[in-house]
Amino acid sequence: MKLGIQLALAAVGLAALATLPLWASPVIIQFGTSALILAVLAQGWNIIGGYTGYSSFGNSVFYGLGGYGVAIGMVQFQWPFAAGLALGIALALAFALLIGLPVLRLRGHYFAIATLGLAVVMTAIVSNIEIAGRNIGLIMPLVRGDTWFYEGSLALLAATTLTIAWISRSRFGFGLIAIRENEGAASVMGINTTLYKVLAFALASVFTAIAGGIHAYWITFLDPESAFDIGLNVKMIIMAVFGGPGTVFGPILGAFVLSAISEILASKLTSLASIFFGIVIVVAVVFMPRGFADLVRRFRQTRWRYFQENIRAHSV
Amino acid sequence: MIGTLLSLAAALLLATVPSSAATVDLGASVQLTGKDANTGRYYGDAYQLTIDKINAAGGVKVGKDKQKLTLKMLDNQSDVNLSVRQYVQLVTQDKVNFLLGPFSSNFALADSAISEKYSIPMIQGGGASDQIFSRGYKYIFGTLPAATEYFSSTVDLMTKLNPPPKNVALIFADDAFDVSVADGTRALLNKASMKIVVDQRYSDKASDFNSILSLIKSQPVDAILVAGHETEILNFIRQAKTLNVSPKFYSFTVGVPTADFRNALGGDADYAYGMTSWLPSPTFKDEYFGNAEQFANEYKKRFGYDPDYHAASAAADVEAFVKAIEAAGTLDPAKVRDAIAKLDFDSLYGRIKFNAAGQISLPQTVVQVQKGKLVAVYGPKGMMEKPLYPMPAWGQR
Amino acid sequence: MQLLWQIIVNGVLLGGLYALMALGLVLVWGVLNIVNLSHGALIMLGAYAGYYLFTGAGIDPFAALPLSMLMLFILGYGIQRGILNLVIRGPMFNTLLITFGLEVVITYLAQVIFSADFRTVNPPYAGANFELLGATVPLVRMLAFILAIGLTLVLWLFLEHTRIGRGIRATAQNLVAARLHGVNPRRVYALTFGIGSALAGAAGTLYGVVSQINPYIGGALTAKSFAIAIIGGLDNSLNVVVGGLFLGIVEALTALYIGPTYTDVVSFGILVLVLIVRPTGLLGRTA
Repeated sequence: MKLGIQLALAAVGLAALATLPLWASPVIIQFGTSALILAVLAQGWNIIGGYTGYSSFGNSVFYGLGGYGVAIGMVQFQWPFAAGLALGIALALAFALLIGLPVLRLRGHYFAIATLGLAVVMTAIVSNIEIAGRNIGLIMPLVRGDTWFYEGSLALLAATTLTIAWISRSRFGFGLIAIRENEGAASVMGINTTLYKVLAFALASVFTAIAGGIHAYWITFLDPESAFDIGLNVKMIIMAVFGGPGTVFGPILGAFVLSAISEILASKLTSLASIFFGIVIVVAVVFMPRGFADLVRRFRQTRWRYFQENIRAHSV
Repeated sequence: MIGTLLSLAAALLLATVPSSAATVDLGASVQLTGKDANTGRYYGDAYQLTIDKINAAGGVKVGKDKQKLTLKMLDNQSDVNLSVRQYVQLVTQDKVNFLLGPFSSNFALADSAISEKYSIPMIQGGGASDQIFSRGYKYIFGTLPAATEYFSSTVDLMTKLNPPPKNVALIFADDAFDVSVADGTRALLNKASMKIVVDQRYSDKASDFNSILSLIKSQPVDAILVAGHETEILNFIRQAKTLNVSPKFYSFTVGVPTADFRNALGGDADYAYGMTSWLPSPTFKDEYFGNAEQFANEYKKRFGYDPDYHAASAAADVEAFVKAIEAAGTLDPAKVRDAIAKLDFDSLYGRIKFNAAGQISLPQTVVQVQKGKLVAVYGPKGMMEKPLYPMPAWGQR
Repeated sequence: MQLLWQIIVNGVLLGGLYALMALGLVLVWGVLNIVNLSHGALIMLGAYAGYYLFTGAGIDPFAALPLSMLMLFILGYGIQRGILNLVIRGPMFNTLLITFGLEVVITYLAQVIFSADFRTVNPPYAGANFELLGATVPLVRMLAFILAIGLTLVLWLFLEHTRIGRGIRATAQNLVAARLHGVNPRRVYALTFGIGSALAGAAGTLYGVVSQINPYIGGALTAKSFAIAIIGGLDNSLNVVVGGLFLGIVEALTALYIGPTYTDVVSFGILVLVLIVRPTGLLGRTA
């Protein structure tokens, strides 16, 4: 699809979504906000995982830090939301830069595992910090008006996607892709891989933290287990991978589709919702490991053989 | 794009609101699966049983006519975040009239923010922690007595034992309820001039108490008080046995009154103390079930296991709503809320009356496991059955 | 001083059980390059196997070990052959995801089949203990410790000195060469995962005697096994024992001197540090 058409479609989509609160019921707005936040998370992961090829299980740390920034700021210091958000972003950025530097030196699965370990460590650390409410968590001041959260999340998604669109056409982005495809070669070609990786991690951290802050304020409650939830991180990954990692719109698609199915299940057949997620993962990884976008693209040529080929390529 | 179309389709599906033909709809998000399901099920089952019982008697009187109660219950899979979202769904999509609460203070704490936000009364029988009731919220009520008072009758009993324990170990989990209990218990112990020689907070995911037990063993501890969850307390007792730790007296906030807890421990449960705000005794008279004993029998017959105070508390929540609606004569949330605040009636759970903050006040009866049976040893009126004290060493049982 | 000695004894014994838990994970990781996030769920199933054999058939948990190991072996073989073999040559990250999905499914099914009630395995000697230089040593933990060392040795001997074992190692090192020598990788992989699961099952059966069983114990156990695998190093089974002991002792000391709520901070903090500073583990060779 040509860039112009893509942008036009995106603009139309954005306008449609922005006017949703005018005609939809509160529960749709609620679902929408949730799906938008998940889409932001998927896009955030996309930057470090999709484009740079560093599959991070630590994005949930940024999410949690964003949430705690807002929570601590508003509850303990009586700051306004914006100030709390700034604190959250600052915490996430600090983490991305300080911890990102050593951790990004690790390759392949060691990076994934290190970030997994980081998520667990942060849960354990925060549950011992008095100002964060320890293991009990914090309750945000009540605010009515779901519409603001909806529009805010939509704006955030737009900003994140625009950034990714820019990345995909910029030298920075090509550098990231080069790192993903062959880091050794990229380094030899003169790309400062450390700088690029850390920048990608930092970018991801900012968007993810803002999403975390908005979510915390919206739900009015935050505790260590839900803030740094690894299951959420896996959700981000599945949504990005399902939709198409390393593409501009793929993760959004993945997030919306999977959220919709999950919400329907959760409200009608609650007990199936938990197993649904697990089954989706298993099926997606076996049959369409390169995501929905890749499926759509290649299906025309290969039809049902697409699934067989995927399995044959990856199995023993 | 496909994604947007699908979401719109989902939206339309979700948008169908069930039309309620003159029923009073109650909504609840309960831990039916997940790590709290073991206790969560008491709430789900009790809500259902009580609502069926009231409907069988004709339903609830709203103004001039009687309407049936319905229950929309969702499974929050022991996930607090999901529980919060489910309560929002219950209010905004399912448009229930009133809310029944989940189990656990952590959940009640978060979920009550929703009932307050939408000004819909919630009565919950699963959260006892102070924090729930100290925020000035008007729409949350609780039928579990204050966490800070949980060990009050136990400490009273301790002062009357011969010889009374002097050095106490206080062990507690780091969730809302148990932290509250510990805060209150410290004050109670200080007032009774007992010395707290071990004061340890542990993570509520812990399964290994060997370090804490070793610490206790190295000090002259007479009594141990543990505030935690059933699974942890189970581990604690088993590990106390393997490390040969046997104080003169030990008491636990949960577990002891519950039949499958005692079964899981077998003989090792003997001599343990616990507390309950409810016993299935015929002295608790009830308008719908007759009395508490009959409630327990019906419950056991329908669900196959014995109810404990969690179930009774849940049943009381439903009855409280019914009484309040009948007193208010309307389903208007604000008026029903005021009626709840003025309630004062007897039920299978005891006297239902909420204080200004919305919490009930019920005395705890101290119970002890004696030869496999649960025996009430100390109640609001003083000594009951004789407690077996001091506890013999493990090797001498 | 006495307290310190008791704490160290606690730590060592805990470490033994930990090592047994991590053994299966390390085998599968080292040979198949699969980081099995459902490992804890397999341990949980082993615990239930032990429970039902004990309460249903009256079999003592230690005697039931071969049975529960066999059951888990069959399950693991099936999982590898049926599901994991389909993705094993893809990006390693995919196996992380798929095993996470498996964990969700297994836990859910366990809850449906076994219910959320917690169970205990309570043989008459469950509380037995003896004194060792002033410290109380729980009998069951001692036996679990000995078993862990024993199984580690058996595993090492198996991999070094039996044809099948060497076949497994060969396949791990060079798939093509192994194929040329007539090794059937599908079967070898399934066999390895089966053995890993059997070891998880053994750990689970023992775990049920010292702690309590419910469908949700898996997650935390996976995380622990993980930490031990990295800290000890993946090269061989001896490393796992060292990793397990190290973690057990560190946790026991942390609980006493810093506080019981800090054990995870220390355990996983060390995990991250090891990954950053010495990724092959405390004992691993810097490849």
